[in-house]
Formats: sequence, structure tokens, C-alpha cells
Amino acid sequence: MSSSNGAIVVTGAGSGIGREITRLLLDQGTPVSAWDINLGDLEGHNSPNLMVRRLDTRDKAALDKAAAETVERFGAIAGAATCAGIFRPKPFLELTQQDWDDHFGINLRGVLFTCQSVLPYMRERKKGSLVMFSSTLARSSKPRTGHYAATKGGVLGLMRVMALETAKEGIRVNAISPGIADTPMPNAVYESGTMADRAKANPMGRIGTANDMAQTALFLLSDEASFVTGQDFRVNGGQDPF
Amino acid sequence: MHTLITGGGSGIGRATALRLAKRSRISIADKSGANAQAVANEIRASGGKADAYEVDVLDGAAVRTVVAKADAVEPIDALFNNAGISVRTEIADISGAEWDLMLDTHARGMFFVAQAVLRNMVPRKKGAIVQTSSDFAVMGVPGMAAYCAAKCAIYSLTKALSLEFVQDGIRVNAIGPGPIDTPILASNRTEAEYRDAVARNETRVPMGRLGKPDEVAAVVDFLLSERASYINGQLIHPNGGTVMW
Repeated sequence: MSSSNGAIVVTGAGSGIGREITRLLLDQGTPVSAWDINLGDLEGHNSPNLMVRRLDTRDKAALDKAAAETVERFGAIAGAATCAGIFRPKPFLELTQQDWDDHFGINLRGVLFTCQSVLPYMRERKKGSLVMFSSTLARSSKPRTGHYAATKGGVLGLMRVMALETAKEGIRVNAISPGIADTPMPNAVYESGTMADRAKANPMGRIGTANDMAQTALFLLSDEASFVTGQDFRVNGGQDPF
Repeated sequence: MHTLITGGGSGIGRATALRLAKRSRISIADKSGANAQAVANEIRASGGKADAYEVDVLDGAAVRTVVAKADAVEPIDALFNNAGISVRTEIADISGAEWDLMLDTHARGMFFVAQAVLRNMVPRKKGAIVQTSSDFAVMGVPGMAAYCAAKCAIYSLTKALSLEFVQDGIRVNAIGPGPIDTPILASNRTEAEYRDAVARNETRVPMGRLGKPDEVAAVVDFLLSERASYINGQLIHPNGGTVMW
């Protein structure tokens, strides 16, 4: 990927997997349009290959505006990685409508809106790659994650239909389902002992890293994956083969 | 890096050999010694390191001999376990011999190769294996019962190996290609039947076209690389969207 091919939009770019994807893309000289409600160390950090926008992925107007500005700045959008998400585990019977709406608003509707904001530009060029983030929890369950798992299962359904609808237009749509990874999202809600237990339970004896997931995202965004669409890459050390 | 590729003389195996030769020594094993030699020559001509071996994966002893020879040249740290065949027969007409050939070539053949390679890899605590399964491992196709069963067996073998050797630092994954324009598609078909098969697949594949061998090779390249160091026991589909699950 080079700058003449357009920019990659990354949501949730301020931390975790989104931040690592942003770093790897910039390292290889690919322009990035980095979006997040909390931009972290990217705040105010504009460089020739980097555009940052503070936005909430629930805000469709803000997404559409940022997409238009990205095309204006870099000429085209080559792809998007939708990493923005939240994870607030809670027992099923204690879930409130607010919990449900927050998770679905960001983890699922936010993904839809982000894709809708960039797809028209990809259609014009008959080329593009979208990478969504599902989760190992979409298939294998853990207590207290019903609402989160439902959003991540939703991502898989959305991904497949979007892949079918755009397959003949040169656009590929895939998902990555990370196992638990050493990122701020699980670290914010799990004790370090829980993280250590998860590492022990994994066949590889470790949890994932943001880099593990970002490397797969870069592969899917690139032309190396030109015949790969509608797929879910389960990057989990072999813990959940399905 | 030294990669052993079975079925490396044509199709997806050949494309993977040519692609990986940019960063790896390649040992090409194929039932056709001439095809294997042609690919090795092509790699050497562009400055790469390659050797050719004629071997039928049905012959366990021959497989072990070839693996020992290749490993002595340079330790094998990557395996693309890929040799395969395709026959289309209605279930009622499948003979015992045909069933055995299909299952033996794919399941037992890959088992022989994997076992021989893993015996050397395990003490070195490092390696990556990719095995060629198929879309057909997870979908039923009329007239392809034996092939479907064989390719699903490879997927099961992959999952078992991925857990058995993970503590030895070895990752094992499978690929499930969709319709790819390779010699297998043309095998046992007249020119007209081949064109018909291509047309049918173009309708069936959401991307509206067949895949190219190098598009599968790129996925194998990724899975064998450090970039995929946390991907294990998976079936990855370069299939143009034919199967999504």
C-alpha cells in the first residue's frame, strides 16, 4: 500500500488494537485517518500521512464529515478498520437498557455507520477493503458478556451481508475475532489475576497482543488478501477453533 | 528458512513455491518429478534456492526418505502440506478403490508428510505448517462426496495437530480455497467441460470470478510467516466469499 492508493480509516485509533494498526500503517508509509472519541497520544498529532478526528462513532453526521475530509486530504479511501468498541461485563439480570444501547450503539451500529460513511468512496473506485472486529465471544461464551457477545455476533452477520453486497464491486469485507488480548479494553475491567488465568488457559500459554491483531488487519487490508472476503479470522492462539 | 511444499509442481503448490522463494529455500515434492524439477529450475533461474523431489505421498517410506534428504540440506521450518487430487463421481458409482485413493492421498498422505516433518521440527521447537483443505470441508457438493470427506478429514487433522504441537512452538493451520483456476479444475474434463465449469463457478462465487493460484499462495505466505504468530488451528478461506461461516 502506498499513499497514492488512498488512506485507511481507523476507528478506535486512540488506543489498543486501533492504535497499533495506525502505527503499523504509518510505519509502512500508508496514510491514516484516525478517528476516536478519545484520541490518546494522537490528539493534535497531524502529520503529512496522518489526519485525526475526535468523534463518536454513534454520530453518523460526524462520520460522514470525517470521511469527506479524508478524501479531500488524501484523494481516496482505500480501506477501513473499525476497532471502536466497548466492553463492560455485567451479569445478565443486572443489564440495563443503557448498557444494551451503549454496546449496540458503538459495537454494532457504529460499525455500520462507519462503513456507510466510507463505502460510497470505495464504490466509485471499485476497490476497497473493510476490516471489522468481532470477538472470540461471538462464538464461545463467558459469563457476564451476553450483551457484548450479541453485538459481536451481529458484526459477523453484518460483515457477511456487506461482503456479498459489495463482492462484485472490488470491495472486500472481513472480520477479525481476537481472543482476549493485552489491550486497555479487557485490562480496564479484569483483575491482573484473571488476565494471567486466561493466558494459562490458552494453548499458546499467552494472551494475544494488539500487534497480533494489527498484523492480521494489515494483511486483510492489503492486496495480498485479494480473494479473501466474507471471512472471520480467529486470532486466538488456537483456543477456539470455531 | 526452508519450506517443503508437496504438490509443488503445479497449481497452488507451484504458485506458493515461486512466491515463498523470495524469502525461503524451497523443496518441491511432487508425484511428477518433471513438474517439480521445472519449478525448481524456475526458482534457481531467478536466484533462489530450490530442490526437486519426485515422491508419491501414498508411499510413507518414500515420504520419510525425501523429508530426511531435504532436512539434511537445511532444517525444514515450514511445511505446505498440499498434494491433492480431484475426482467427480456420483456416490452410487464410487468404487472402494476410488474412495481409498481419495482418502489415502489427502488424509493419509498429509499425515505421513506431517509426521515425518514434525519429528524433526519438535526438537527444534519452531515451525509452521499449512495444509490444503477446501471450501468443501464445510459444504456439501453433489458428486464430490469422497473429496468432501477427504478435505474435512484434513481440517480435523489440522485442529488436532495444532493443539498437540503448540507447546513445541509449532503452529498448524489449514486453507480452504474456493474455486481456483488450477490444473485440478481442468483434470478429467474436456475443453468444453472445463469452460462450463469456469462459467458455473463464476456464477457461484460472490466475487464473480475464479481465484488465481497466487491469491492462495499469498494467504499461505501470510500463515507461514511471523505475522500470523497467534493464528493456530484455523481454516482460512481464500474463496471469493463462496463460503462464510
